[in-house]
Amino acid sequence: MTMTENNSGLILIIDDEESIRDGCTQALEKSGYTVLATGDGHEGVRIAREKHPDIAYVDLKMPGIPGMDIIDILSREIPDIVLIVITGYASIISAVESMKKGAYDYLPKPFTPDQLRAVTTRGIDHRNLTLETRRLKEEKEQVEKNFITFVSHEMRSPLVTIEQYIESLKVIAGDCLGEDAMHIIERCEKRIQNLEALVEHWLDISKIENGTLTQKKEPVNLAAIVARSMEEMIPLCQRRGLEMEKDIPGDLPAVIGDEESLVRVLINIIGNATKYTPSGGRIHIGAEYDDLDVRISISDTGTGIPKDKIPFIFEPFFRGKGKEDRQRGSGLGLTFCKKIMEAHDGSIEVQSKEGEGTTFLLKLPR
Amino acid sequence: MTAKKKILVIDDDMDFLMATKLILESGGYEVFLAEDGKSGVDMVKSVAPDLTITDMMMETWGEGFAVVSKIRSMEQGKDMPLIVLSAVDLQGPYQSYEPSDEFPKVNMVLHKPVKADDLLKYAKQLLR
Ligand SMILES: Nc1ncnc2c1ncn2[C@@H]1O[C@H](COP(=O)(O)OP(=O)(O)OP(=O)(O)O)[C@@H](O)[C@H]1O
Ligand SMILES: [Mg+2]
Repeated sequence: MTMTENNSGLILIIDDEESIRDGCTQALEKSGYTVLATGDGHEGVRIAREKHPDIAYVDLKMPGIPGMDIIDILSREIPDIVLIVITGYASIISAVESMKKGAYDYLPKPFTPDQLRAVTTRGIDHRNLTLETRRLKEEKEQVEKNFITFVSHEMRSPLVTIEQYIESLKVIAGDCLGEDAMHIIERCEKRIQNLEALVEHWLDISKIENGTLTQKKEPVNLAAIVARSMEEMIPLCQRRGLEMEKDIPGDLPAVIGDEESLVRVLINIIGNATKYTPSGGRIHIGAEYDDLDVRISISDTGTGIPKDKIPFIFEPFFRGKGKEDRQRGSGLGLTFCKKIMEAHDGSIEVQSKEGEGTTFLLKLPR
Repeated sequence: MTAKKKILVIDDDMDFLMATKLILESGGYEVFLAEDGKSGVDMVKSVAPDLTITDMMMETWGEGFAVVSKIRSMEQGKDMPLIVLSAVDLQGPYQSYEPSDEFPKVNMVLHKPVKADDLLKYAKQLLR
C-alpha cells in the first residue's frame, strides 16, 4: 500500500529555478504535504528558522548564498530537520560534502515526481525514526530517574522507621532487657545500617550512571581532601589498633574536581584498609605529581588481595570472603570509587601481595 | 506541678510517628500526632503545642515546606519552636529546591533516624 495521498508534513524547497519549485510543489501537494518554496537562499533560511519544516530541499548551485552554506546553517540551527540536496551537476563530490555538513540525502536533477516522492517519504520516515528514538531515550531516562527517586524513598523510609522503633524500644524497655536481648538489638541495628549503606552506595552508583549525581568541577586541594578524610577515619583506626600516617608534599598542585566525591573515594579506600588490616598494622597515605597528573597512594600492611581476585574487585557486588564482622560490606565501595575517578578523567589502580599488603593508586589529571 | 508540655509530630509514616511518640513520652511530654500536613496545621491551631516536629518529605518535597510556612503564618505558630526532620540528603533529586528569602526559619533540622537521646535533648533545649 502506498500512503501517497494522505501524507502530512511541511516541506521547504529552496531552488532558484522556478520550474523546479513549481514542479516540486505540485507533486508534493498532490501527495498531501504542505509546501513552501522560495528562490532566494536567505529567504529560505529565514522561512526555515520560522516554520521549522520537516524537510528542506536545497539546491546546491544558486546565486547569492551557496547551497552548501544553507545546509551548514540549517543542520546546526534547526533540530531534526531533514536536509536533501538538489544537485544539478550530479557530482558525487559535492553530494558527499553536503552529507558531511549534515544533509541526509541527495536528488540529482533532472528527477521525476515519483523519484521526488520516494525521496520525500524516505526523508519523513527517517525523521520520524529519529524523533521516536529520541522520545524513547528520554522516556527511558525519565523512568530511570523516577525509579531512583522511588527507591530512595521506598527503601530508605522503612529502614529509618525500623531504626526509630529500635531507638524507642531501647528507651521504653531498656532497663528491663537482659544482656542477650540488648545484644540482639545491637545486631539488628548493625545489620540495618549495613543495608542502609548498601542502598546508599547503590543509589550513588545509579546516579553517576544516569548523570544525576551533581558533581562540581572546581579547583580542589588534594592535601586538604586527604586531611579531611583522615580526620574522619582516625577514630575508626584507633578502635582497630591501626596507625595512619601521611606524607604529602606541601606544593601539591590543585586539580579540577568535586571535593565531596573525592573525600568519599578516600574514605572508602581507607575504610577498606581498616577492614582488611589486622590490628597493629599501618596505613600510609602518600602523594606525588608530575607535569601530567597528581597521584595519591593509600597503602596498608593488611591481608592483601589474592592475585586471581584482583581483576574483579572493581566489579559491582564483588566481595572477598571476609568472615569478620568488620569485613561485612556491599561490594559496591570500589565500584563507586572507580566511577568517581572516571568522572574526573582519572583512574584507580591496585597493587597487592597476599600476606603483605595493598596499595591503591588514585590518578587525577592536572 | 506544672502541666505537661505539648509536642506535635507531623509525619506521613504512622510507624515513625509511633516510635517518636514513645520516645517523647518517656521524656514526660504530652504527644499529639498528625499523619499529613493539613491535619498538622489544623492541630497547631486546636492543640496549641509548645513544640512541633515535622517531616520534610511528605508526598512531595514541597509539602513539608508548605506546612512550615503555613504554621509560621499562624498566630499560634509564629513563635513556636519548630524542628524539621529530613531523611533526604540534599545532594539528591531534590537539590533543586532553594529556600526563598521569605522562607520562615525553623529552629532546627535533624536527620532521620534521630537518636532518642538527641531528640529528648533538643526538645528540652527548645522548650526551656
Ligand atoms: N585494602 C584492601 N585489602 C584487602 N582486600 C581489599 C582491600 N580493599 C578491597 N579489598 C577487597 O576488594 C573487595 C571489594 O571492595 P569494596 O570496597 O568494593 O567492597 P567491600 O569493602 O566488601 O564493601 P563496601 O561496599 O561496604 O565497601 C573487598 O570485599 C575485599 O575483598
Ligand atoms: Mg569497601
